Amino acid sequence: MSDLDRQIEQLKNCEPLKESEVKALCLKAMEILVEESNVQRVDAPVTICGDIHGQFYDMKELFKVGGDCPKTNYLFLGDFVDRGFYSVETFLLLLALKVRYPDRITLIRGNHESRQITQVYGFYDECLRKYGSVNVWRYCTDIFDYLSLSALIENKIFSVHGGLSPAITTLDQIRTIDRKQEVPHDGAMCDLLWSDPEDIVDGWGLSPRGAGFLFGGSVVTSFNHTNNIDYICRAHQLVMEGYKWMFNNQIVTVWSAPNYCYRCGNVAAILQLDENLNKQFCVFDAAPQESRGNPAKKPAPDYFL
Amino acid sequence: MEVEPEEKELKAAGAQLLPDGRRGLRIHGWEIETHKRSILTSSNFEQWEHKLQTSHLPEMVFGDSLLALKHIETGVQIYFNAFDALTGWKKEALPPVEVPAAAKWKFRCKPSQQVILDYDYTFTTPYCGSERIEADTEKHGREQTCEESNGLCWEDCEEKIDLVSLSLKEPILFYDEVILYEDELADNGISLLTVKVRVMPSGWFLLLRFWLRVDGVLMRLRDTRMHCIFSNSENPIILRESCWRETTFQSLAEKGYASDSAAYNDPSVICDRLQIVMQKTQKLRVSGKL
Repeated sequence: MSDLDRQIEQLKNCEPLKESEVKALCLKAMEILVEESNVQRVDAPVTICGDIHGQFYDMKELFKVGGDCPKTNYLFLGDFVDRGFYSVETFLLLLALKVRYPDRITLIRGNHESRQITQVYGFYDECLRKYGSVNVWRYCTDIFDYLSLSALIENKIFSVHGGLSPAITTLDQIRTIDRKQEVPHDGAMCDLLWSDPEDIVDGWGLSPRGAGFLFGGSVVTSFNHTNNIDYICRAHQLVMEGYKWMFNNQIVTVWSAPNYCYRCGNVAAILQLDENLNKQFCVFDAAPQESRGNPAKKPAPDYFL
Repeated sequence: MEVEPEEKELKAAGAQLLPDGRRGLRIHGWEIETHKRSILTSSNFEQWEHKLQTSHLPEMVFGDSLLALKHIETGVQIYFNAFDALTGWKKEALPPVEVPAAAKWKFRCKPSQQVILDYDYTFTTPYCGSERIEADTEKHGREQTCEESNGLCWEDCEEKIDLVSLSLKEPILFYDEVILYEDELADNGISLLTVKVRVMPSGWFLLLRFWLRVDGVLMRLRDTRMHCIFSNSENPIILRESCWRETTFQSLAEKGYASDSAAYNDPSVICDRLQIVMQKTQKLRVSGKL
């Protein structure tokens, strides 16, 4: 058994790698990812997965229902880390699979694959806690800069973490972005990872936060028409039922973190496309309690004031 | 691991756990119960949007979760739910808070026909609990309810909640925390409304907390505490203290405090750094006999 296969087995047991192994794995991953396009071509059949957020045992459940990689070809739409308890093991397992089976798994970048966001929402603290230093966080966040921004399945289905950008009309415009950087606060790359479809606007909307675009049905219609695609598949927003179509089936949100944050009670979904691009949503629940590493923590009585 | 209160502690306090898997207990004429449920389904979510006349709600609305404290003799019920809290949010309708990136975005070229949304995405609410007098089902002849002007009146008062006696490590017979709603502000911070309750042999105490952190901009903490000391009186008294705090990250930086968002994950640790903007104490004499 090669080192890499052994590492994959170890990660499947939710045991993190040594720091030196992470460093070597990231170097190998970088060589593969740097060659990928900003609009990475993906062949069908493929199974599309939305946000995971460090919910390692639920991702194992995902592989149980969707089949193991490399037997099943996967596309993950980002947000591997933050919020859940096992961002390190989750991301490293996906990355190790990428290095081992580069043509059978595609990882694109989510807005959480960023230095700034991971410092606030969990991944940075988890690395520090599990390794006693931030080196692993550095290796991983350096790799984030190499992750592709979107994928195109059989030239027919466009996949991205967040959504569209007013600065982008054609896929070629995405191809020209220099992506090897921290996610910027504005511009096309930022929009692809951050923006959301919104029912109450038809064209473009600006979030009340003063930053962040919302896009309506007519924006999606014209993007799909211009680029000759059937629909857009994206993640980024929690959906209680695991997936949600909008704008007459022109865009679908796929969410793959069941019982999000271990308390929402939502189901998760993955979208399975066969070789003819026939769709099947596979809905699944959180991993049962007994298959998780840690016992559930009920709130301990607390003398709050 | 759930920490079950000792059988003998419950017995000594005259308390009984609620039957049939319900969470809560009966003690000194009060029935105290929590419901913890999933977030709203998409169809219920849409119904709520319609009922609240809004196109936006927090992404996680625990719409069927609840804390209720019912005084059995009078039918007086104090309860906490997301719907009433969001009704308060809709009414207060604060102007939106701009995130730091907004300054830069003002210089972005604007797409044509851009709509600027302006609802309060922080879901800040003045909610401090709901109350009603329940129809008396146990006794005949007193069937009428008085839901609207329910005769329950919180009066301003000078008394304060006795934090010293609440600091005593009395046994906790029942404890729970219920999240009513939560929103991640699209990864720009957190908006969270929760209520915690603990019941001791001497009385019950609860904390309703609205916690908002808009990363790089401001924090808001709106706490409401209620305390009821058990007594032999038919008409127990509930004290309610509300304390609202708010501070900008800029003013924290000026005072030399950390101004990175990661340092402000736990409001109970940092609440003293936030400036008090409103404080009041009220009391309610529980009486259902009009």
